[in-house]
Amino acid sequence: MKINSKYFPWVIVLGFIFFLLLPFMAPYKALASQILIFAIFAIGYDILFGYTGLLSFGHAAFFGLGAYGAGLSLIHLAIPVPLGILIGVIISILIAFPIAYLSIRSRGIYFVMVTLAFAQLIYFIAFKWRALTGGDDGLHGVPRPALGPIDLGSELVLYYFILFFFILSVMLGIRIINSPFGKTLQSLRENEDRAKSVGYNTNRFKLISFVISAFFAGLAGGLYAVLQNFVPLFSLGLDISGDIVVMTLVGGMGTLYGPIMGAMAIVFLKDMLSSYIDIWPLILGLIFVVSVMTFRRGVFKQLIEKFKKF
Amino acid sequence: MGFHFIFIQLFNGLILGSIYILLSLGLTVIFGTLGVVNFAHGAIYMLGAYAAYSIVTLLNANFFLAILICPIIVGTIGMLLERLLISKLYKLPHFYNLLLTFGIMFFIQDAIKIIYGPEGETFHIPQILGGSVNLGFVFYPKYRLFIILITAFLALGVWLFIERTKLGAIIRAGTDDSEMVDALGINISRTFTLVFGMGAALSGLAGVLAAPIQDVQPLMGMDILVETFVVVIIGGMGSIVGSVLAGLIIGELITVGVISWPPIATSLMYIFMAIILIARPRGFLGRAAFFE
Amino acid sequence: MIKRSLVLTIVLIGVLFLVVCPAKAADTVKVGVISVLSGPLAVIGNGEAWSAEMAINDFGTVLGKKIEFVKRDHAYNPGIANEKAKELYEKEKVDVIIACPNSAAALAVAQQALIHKKPFISTSAGTTDLIGKQCHRYIIKWNYNDYMLATTVGLWGAEHLGKKWYTITSDYAWGHDLLKHFTAALKKKGGVHLGNDMVALNTADYSPYILNAIKAKPDVLVLLNVGKDTTNSTKAAAEFGLKKTCKIVHALLFGPNIKGAGPEVFADDYCAMSWYWKVDNPGAREYADKYFKLHGERPHFMAAAVYSGTWQYLEAVKRAGTTEPEAVIKQLEGHTFRDMFANPGYIRPEDHMQVAKAYLLRAKRPEEIMEDYDYFEIVGSVPAEEAYGKPGQFGCTMKGF
Repeated sequence: MKINSKYFPWVIVLGFIFFLLLPFMAPYKALASQILIFAIFAIGYDILFGYTGLLSFGHAAFFGLGAYGAGLSLIHLAIPVPLGILIGVIISILIAFPIAYLSIRSRGIYFVMVTLAFAQLIYFIAFKWRALTGGDDGLHGVPRPALGPIDLGSELVLYYFILFFFILSVMLGIRIINSPFGKTLQSLRENEDRAKSVGYNTNRFKLISFVISAFFAGLAGGLYAVLQNFVPLFSLGLDISGDIVVMTLVGGMGTLYGPIMGAMAIVFLKDMLSSYIDIWPLILGLIFVVSVMTFRRGVFKQLIEKFKKF
Repeated sequence: MGFHFIFIQLFNGLILGSIYILLSLGLTVIFGTLGVVNFAHGAIYMLGAYAAYSIVTLLNANFFLAILICPIIVGTIGMLLERLLISKLYKLPHFYNLLLTFGIMFFIQDAIKIIYGPEGETFHIPQILGGSVNLGFVFYPKYRLFIILITAFLALGVWLFIERTKLGAIIRAGTDDSEMVDALGINISRTFTLVFGMGAALSGLAGVLAAPIQDVQPLMGMDILVETFVVVIIGGMGSIVGSVLAGLIIGELITVGVISWPPIATSLMYIFMAIILIARPRGFLGRAAFFE
Repeated sequence: MIKRSLVLTIVLIGVLFLVVCPAKAADTVKVGVISVLSGPLAVIGNGEAWSAEMAINDFGTVLGKKIEFVKRDHAYNPGIANEKAKELYEKEKVDVIIACPNSAAALAVAQQALIHKKPFISTSAGTTDLIGKQCHRYIIKWNYNDYMLATTVGLWGAEHLGKKWYTITSDYAWGHDLLKHFTAALKKKGGVHLGNDMVALNTADYSPYILNAIKAKPDVLVLLNVGKDTTNSTKAAAEFGLKKTCKIVHALLFGPNIKGAGPEVFADDYCAMSWYWKVDNPGAREYADKYFKLHGERPHFMAAAVYSGTWQYLEAVKRAGTTEPEAVIKQLEGHTFRDMFANPGYIRPEDHMQVAKAYLLRAKRPEEIMEDYDYFEIVGSVPAEEAYGKPGQFGCTMKGF
């Protein structure tokens, strides 16, 4: 995503207007909030998957850790919401370090399986530690205390609160991608051995990329806990891990805007199809298979490349 | 705690181990030869169970017939998937096929849910294999004994096939260096299709065998898929002996958990896996070459 | 080079949102059902959804308005139930949510009910927390709770079947609550709790736990689970010969499960219910017959409870003259009614528990079954005051309006 294109300001303006109006266009406001939350998750995930080329199948762990961290701190400590979310993010990052360190020792397909394995381990710990997490039943009663004059109990107000974080995340994401660090990540993705031979400590870059993606995931998770007033166990589960992969791939990895739109589309579609209980996984599976087989770089990116020709 | 009782529980752990072995055999063969992490493996297992249900309950056929036919049906479906979809992505990084099979899994599971209904089906233990046998130390259900025996037989069979037959040699060669094999004039892509079919057939067979003692329902493959991955990772991806060993150990590990402190039973498997991943990432007998 | 394509895409999505946004319902009364509509427990949820629809069709219109019905599948998952409750209250703008099995899911929905200040008629979850620590005025607890199950079949079982119990419990909120109440009932009768196994939901192979049970040599095996878990655990008990040496008591047992596994598996097992399709309430047989004609099976007591809950909600709306939550709930508190489900039923204002007579049932042996779905014999009954204990005994401090 090049900043110096002449269209870029237009994109920003239009995008901003779109997101300002989203809660009124969406079927209900909480859905608009949910869309932003997964978009934030997708930004971070794209940095790891799209830009660094590392496929993690266990990123729900960081989403969930952010959610539980925020949820638990908001329930047990009388702190304002942003602080609770910060705690969630910190916990997510702290756990990301050792997991990243251990996972990066494996390459390629093994990395995928190891991340999956660690996520399952964390899921199981949360499942068993009922006293802390509520286990299978989830964590009830996450409060939304008012932030000074701001009434977070209102779904509309909460949306703009989340929008603030979303805008920050987008800005941060763009910054990271366009920095020398971001460029190095991409070279790493293309050819790790060559990057190594030029002298980069590739493992260190991978680790940092991983932790950055955990940051975004944790932020998304914390916001989710506040939105839902509840932390379900599945926030750590394979379904969410799979979901974020799907959103990123279908949207178009390595573009930042692709995964954002992928996240929006899938969250929205899921809700729209919720009355048609049977069909959703079938359609999702189909979209996904088609994406992987033909588009290879994602629906949105493909569409955009096509439009480029005009 | 009586030795007698522990022995019974450990013996019973072989059942759990058997299903894991059958599933992980298929998964590890597919990975070892094709480099594909088959996320659809659980869905294929489920297809085997539904095929058995359809043949036995709907068409009123013999269970043993199902044991023969269902793996063939499922294996064929596997080969079709390989031919039409999976083989197209061999040239791309491995994770593309992982993701493809992931999508296929959703599709298959939901298709079955739509066709057969979401509640699942009941499948009874066939009459011949019903009842218990007095093994001296316990009255053990005949059917479970049958599973243990078939699995042992099959594990041996697969190993012999890979190690001792010409096709097995080609598969082993193809794993090490597929270009050379191609240059030697052997049609490696056909071999790959066959291997995927074999792996699918093994998974389908596991489904047939599991149907009478587990629930036949569209999502029955999902939980067991993750557990199978754990087994394969611990045993070492690509190693048959590793799968068998790991399957047995995990089956017993979980059983030990059930005896000593039930809350921890299934967690033990994950803890063990975490230890293995830290200490020896390739698993017991995995080939180091697969660290790309 | 971001190009107009990106711009175009944004505009396109915006249009999509506007177009697909569902129009708000006109002046209707909207009833929402959240239940388990897929997977092995779908037998519960389908019955509930069917019954709600039947009740709405039978009721016709209320206050001159049409009655709309929506249903959502929570797949027995509390997180999904929470999201669906938000969706129903916020997008579909339902006036009431009914059903919701899975105690943790019910607690989540109850929380959303409090946040949105709209009623939730919880017919299918057993946890006494809904009328205890987590109670509030927007919950109306219908049908049964775990204390009632433990008191009805637990006390009787300890008295007549044996005092040495082994329990196998499903490891989630409901199982834990059941265990609490059943062991209390056992203690009341001076019995001995030999041991317990916590088993994950949807476990297929119960053999290790049955082996544990055999070792303990109980008089009674108490299975605190539901659906396929009940079937699998009972089947395993039969397989390993445990049924020859002890009796089995179930927390919940449904006709369709018996039909699926075969009555010989459950023969001579005991359980409690708030209703059975052969019970002598006004309109019960008509309801059961109509249900049988429409769906080919006899209704289970969860389904009947949803019919009754839906019906009584609509009656309360009629009496209140409005769908305003506070007014309707006030009509339900302290109300006594007679319908196909409860004859009579009474909604306690102290904790919003709907109480009625409870039944003790024995699963029939195959040779005793005379007609389709005739799986149970009513062995006895327990009056409401005894089955449900004292109002507010679980520590409910009514919050709400």
